[in-house]
Amino acid sequence: MILETAVQLDELLLVLALAPLLTGYVRKLKAHLVRRQGPPLLQPYRDLLRLLRKDVVLAHSASWVFRVAPYLVFATTWVAASLVPTFATGLLLSYAADMIAIVALLGSARFMLALAGLDVGTSFGGIGSSREMMIASLAEPAMLMVVFTLSLLAGSTQLSSIAAFMQGPGVGLRVSLALALVALVMVAIAENARIPVDNPATHLELTMVHEAMILEYSGRHLALIEAASHLKLLLYLSVIGCVFAPWGIAVSGQGFAAYGVGLAAYAVKLAVGGFLLAVFETAIAKMRVFRVSDFLGAALMLGLLATLLLFVSRVT
Amino acid sequence: LFYGAGAVLTATGKRDMEQLGGLIHRMPYTAFAFLIGCAAISALPPFNGFVSEWLTFQAILLSPALPQWLLKFLVPAVGALLALSAALAAACFVKAFGITFLGRARTAVAREAGETDRWSLAAMFILVALCLLAGILPGYFIDALAPVIQPLAGATLPRQEQLDWLTIIPVAQSRSSYNGLLLFLFIALAAGLTVEVIHRWASKAMRRSAAWDCGFPDASPITQYTAGSFSQPIRRVFGVVFRAREEVHMPPPGDAQAARLHVQLHDVPWDVLYAPLARLVNFAAERLNKLQFLTIRGYLTLVFSALVTLLIVLAVWQ
Repeated sequence: MILETAVQLDELLLVLALAPLLTGYVRKLKAHLVRRQGPPLLQPYRDLLRLLRKDVVLAHSASWVFRVAPYLVFATTWVAASLVPTFATGLLLSYAADMIAIVALLGSARFMLALAGLDVGTSFGGIGSSREMMIASLAEPAMLMVVFTLSLLAGSTQLSSIAAFMQGPGVGLRVSLALALVALVMVAIAENARIPVDNPATHLELTMVHEAMILEYSGRHLALIEAASHLKLLLYLSVIGCVFAPWGIAVSGQGFAAYGVGLAAYAVKLAVGGFLLAVFETAIAKMRVFRVSDFLGAALMLGLLATLLLFVSRVT
Repeated sequence: LFYGAGAVLTATGKRDMEQLGGLIHRMPYTAFAFLIGCAAISALPPFNGFVSEWLTFQAILLSPALPQWLLKFLVPAVGALLALSAALAAACFVKAFGITFLGRARTAVAREAGETDRWSLAAMFILVALCLLAGILPGYFIDALAPVIQPLAGATLPRQEQLDWLTIIPVAQSRSSYNGLLLFLFIALAAGLTVEVIHRWASKAMRRSAAWDCGFPDASPITQYTAGSFSQPIRRVFGVVFRAREEVHMPPPGDAQAARLHVQLHDVPWDVLYAPLARLVNFAAERLNKLQFLTIRGYLTLVFSALVTLLIVLAVWQ
């Protein structure tokens, strides 16, 4: 019990501490790939601290929804991220919420953010919210189909059980798993507003989605939202790592060496994931906003196919 | 939600969202209740809608054990549709709340609207409290509903009340569990901690100014996103299903008329299921309508033949 609490607390702090680093790492890699220097690795931390020290400029037409939303968005994303087993399973609170609940928590965060985008009553906020909800209306079902596939295989919707199952001998190579992996990666790209869907590095482009929604934010509110989006990127990479590359995750009761191994493995996973993301983002161009539906529709279909295959092939 | 819609209707006399906006400033309590209702109906944790959705998903995940082949194909499709409809519901209610209550007032009526009376508010807040309670303490509600489920399904979930920490576990611990209360507390704790840390160490200064809007703020509230423009991307994506057709009528150059946008939607279930039924009823009604204008002889014959028919039917029956 004490160990579980400690692991859970570690997890809470770890995701918070690592998330900006991951973003900085991806940015650095992307800059290097186009032969540029790039900002230092720790730049996101500096940005956050600077933003925290700045004044908040609030529009006249903003209501309490606008001011409460950053806190709620950050808190829900933080909780969701800390419920994913990153380096060790056996978290204290992992039984409180399974994978479906984590997806839904992210949905709550998005709901609040979209409302905040509409709150000030500007055209940019509206365009961002509207497109975000369009993307979400396809990405969320696709994500749930992936969850279905995994939990049908593992017989559980708990992430820790799924990770344990994937480490076990009974997995083998499966078509469904491959389909689910592709679908999950596509959803992760869309949900984190990465390049083929949205560009995280731009403000002044009409195709923007996420950045338009948070255009009116400033100061500490903006810092919270930025931190939440860093956390979200970390969360998706952790989910992919925990489910499709579960090697090295410490199981409770293995002693401290196992935790060390788990941490190292987790760092390697994040590094590889971030590298792949940077390469992918550099290699591909952004697509028109109305082609996003094709992209995500494909993810949804892949997820559904994976689930259907399982439904058909399972004999039990 | 319906109470909230009623409150908005009595306050402004409008049902068209495009003419509202900014009501959160004039009706803060109604707006709060409406917001919780929206979150609950969009199946967001920690409210009750999510618990139901979660239980349904768990049931779907158990269904490969079903023996029928047709069901095996149908159930995952149903699951996908359920997930899709939950996401679309969230989009719909962001629009409903965002356009009606947030933003800037689009008409004078919305600018002058007032809060409803205390009784209506109380009614709304009782339901809001129920939404939250059912969301964070689902075990009690599941147990309370068990006597209703028993004759319907012939089985019930195991009793949930005495489980640790009020977790709900429909099948087995290792399979799945959900604890609304803990999750709610966890989120509240994280949010509280954030607020505390931010307010202790971060800058507290706040300035009010005009909206930034990327440097091009337009004072007119017409420039806001409207309900129609908000749902336009979704309409395009799912347009095939509804056979949506958009037409923009632009006035010729030099003409100062406003451009018009026409949107035509078809509801497929309505067209396929209800419309033929309605046509049938109409057709029958038209025919039967003639019966009202018969002569007295006609009526007598009708009554007599009806009686004979009835007797014959009875005779055949026995």
